[in-house]
Amino acid sequence: MSADVLVAGLLSGGLYALIGLGISLVFGVLKVMNLMHGELVLGGAYLAALLVGSAGFDPLVALPFAMLGVALIAYPLQRYLLTGLLRANGSAPMVATFGLSLVAQAALQAAFGTDPRALSAPYAQAGFTVLGVRVQAVYAISFALTVVLCGVTHLVLSRTRAGSAVRAAAADPTTASMLGINVGRVYALTLAGSAALAAAAGVMTGVAQSFTPSAGLPLLLTGFAVMALAGIGSVGGVLLGGITLGLLQSLSTAYFGGGWRNFVVYTVFFLALSFRPTGLFRRVAHA
Amino acid sequence: MTGRKDATTAGAALLVAAVVGLAVAPGLEPGVQDLGTTLLVYLTVAQAWNILAGFAGQVSLGAAAFVATGAYTAGLALAHTSIGWAAAVALAGAIAGLIAAMLAVPLLRLRGDYFTIGTLAASIAVQALLTNWNWAGGASGLTLPIDRIPAGTTLLRLAVVVAAAAMGLTAYVRYSAFGLRLGALRDNEPAAAGLGVAVYGHRFATWVGSSVLTGMAGAVVAYQYVAVSPSGVASVNWSLDAVLMALVGGAGSLIGPVLGTTIVYYGLTRMLEDFQVLSLLVEGTLLVLIVRFAPAGVLALLTRAARPLRRAATLPAAGTEPA
Repeated sequence: MSADVLVAGLLSGGLYALIGLGISLVFGVLKVMNLMHGELVLGGAYLAALLVGSAGFDPLVALPFAMLGVALIAYPLQRYLLTGLLRANGSAPMVATFGLSLVAQAALQAAFGTDPRALSAPYAQAGFTVLGVRVQAVYAISFALTVVLCGVTHLVLSRTRAGSAVRAAAADPTTASMLGINVGRVYALTLAGSAALAAAAGVMTGVAQSFTPSAGLPLLLTGFAVMALAGIGSVGGVLLGGITLGLLQSLSTAYFGGGWRNFVVYTVFFLALSFRPTGLFRRVAHA
Repeated sequence: MTGRKDATTAGAALLVAAVVGLAVAPGLEPGVQDLGTTLLVYLTVAQAWNILAGFAGQVSLGAAAFVATGAYTAGLALAHTSIGWAAAVALAGAIAGLIAAMLAVPLLRLRGDYFTIGTLAASIAVQALLTNWNWAGGASGLTLPIDRIPAGTTLLRLAVVVAAAAMGLTAYVRYSAFGLRLGALRDNEPAAAGLGVAVYGHRFATWVGSSVLTGMAGAVVAYQYVAVSPSGVASVNWSLDAVLMALVGGAGSLIGPVLGTTIVYYGLTRMLEDFQVLSLLVEGTLLVLIVRFAPAGVLALLTRAARPLRRAATLPAAGTEPA
C-alpha cells in the first residue's frame, strides 16, 4: 500500500473530525442527537457559495462569515424551540431536529436549486509533494483548520467562564440553573457553537467536492460515525475518530473500489456504536 | 371486563373491514385499486413502526431497510426460482425477520437516541450494499417477471391481507398482557425489569415482528412498482413516511396510524406530488408542530374535542346544569 493512500486518508479525516466535533458537542451538553447537523454543514457551504459567487471572496475569507451566519440561524432555533422540547420526555427533540432538517433542505432547494455546486478556489485542485508523498492542498488546509478549531474548542471549554458554564450545564442542568447559570442561553450558545463548527466544515467540504441540498444525510452519518468512534465529550478523541474514519475510507477505496466506501463507513459506524457506545478513544471510567 | 370487550369489538371491526376490503376489491376501477394498494402499504409500514415506537418506545429510522429487504427478496425469488408470488411474500417476511434478528445483536444493545441512530445507519448501509450488489442489478436494480406477479384485484387483496396482519398484530399489542408489559418497559425500564418483565425478549419480539410486517409490505411494493432499485425501495423516505404517518395520527394507538396515513397521503404526498420543495417544507414543519404541540397526534386532539360532547350526551338533560 502506498503512503499516498495513508496520507490522503489521514488528511480527509480532519474534515470528518470537524463535522463530528459539532455533533459531539451538542450531544455532550444537550443530550440530543441533532439530526439537522448535515444541513448546518451545507448551510455553511451555501453561505460561502453566496459570498464567493457574488462578492468574489476566497472561500477561506468567506469562512468566518459563514460560521457566524449559520450560528446566528441556529441560536434562536435552540433558544425558542428546541429547549422547550427538552423537558418533554423521549425522542421529541430528536424528531424535531429531523423535521427542521427537512425544512432546511426545502429552504436550500428553494434558494439555490438542486444542481450540484462547488466553491472555486486556487487550491481546490492543487497539490504538492512532500518527501515523495502527493498531498492535496485543500485537505492539508482543512486538516490544519480542524486542528486549530479543535484546540480552540478545547480551550474555550476548559479555560473560560463560558466554558465552565457549558460544562456545568452538561453535568447537571438543575443545579447549574440554581447557581445562577442561564441554562437556556448556554444550550443555545452550544448549538450556535456547534453550528459554527459545522459551517467551517461545510466551507472546506465545498472546496474539496461538490454539494447539493440533499447531501446532508451522508454528512450527518459521517459525523455520527466519528462520534461513535470517539466517544462523547472528548475533543482529542474526536480528532482521532475522524482520522480513523478517514484512513478506513481511504484504505477501503484502495482495496475494494470507490463504490464500497460508504458501505464500509456506515458498517464501521454501526458496529462501533453497537459494541462500544462509549467510544474507542475514551476510558469508560471517565464517563 | 371492558378491556376484553374493547378487544372483541376491535377484532370484529377489523375482521369486517378486511372481509369488506377483499369483497369490494374486484368491483373497483384500476386507478382506485392502485390507490388502495398504496394506502394499505403505507398503513402497514406506519403500523409496524407504531408497534415498535408507539407501544415499545423504540424510535426507529430504519423502516427503509426492511422495505428494501422485502422488495429485493420477492424480486430475486421470482426472478431466479419458480416459487409463486404468495410464497415470495412469505419469504420476504421471513428474510426481513431473519435480518432483523441478526441486526438485533448489535442494535438491541442500544437505548433511546442511540437506537434511532443505529437503525438509520443500518438502513443506509443496506442501501449502500444494494447499490454495490451487481448480481441484484447494482444501482439500477432489477425488474420482476411481469407475467408472474399479481396486479389489480389480486394485488389489492394481497395488500388488504398484509395490512390486516399489521392491524391485527397492533390490536394484539394494544389489548394483550404482552402489550401492557411493553408499555411498562417503555415508560420505566428498570421498574418493569424489577417486576419481572423479560426486557430483551420483549424488545426482540417487537423488533422482529415489526420488521417482518415491513418486509411483507416491501414485497407488495415490489409487485406494485414491478421494478425495484436501491434509490426507490431503500430510500430513507420510507422511514420518514412511517414516522410522519404514525406520529400525525397518534403513535401508541390502534387507530392513530390509520388516520395519519390518510391525512398525510391525501394532504401531503398526493397534493404536493409535483412540488418537491413545498412538500419537504410542509413535512418538516408538520413534524416539528406535532412534537411541539400535539405529541399524541390528531387522534388525541379529536378525542379531546369529542369529550365535552360525549359528557353532554351522558348527562341527564337538565336545564339547571351550570354552563
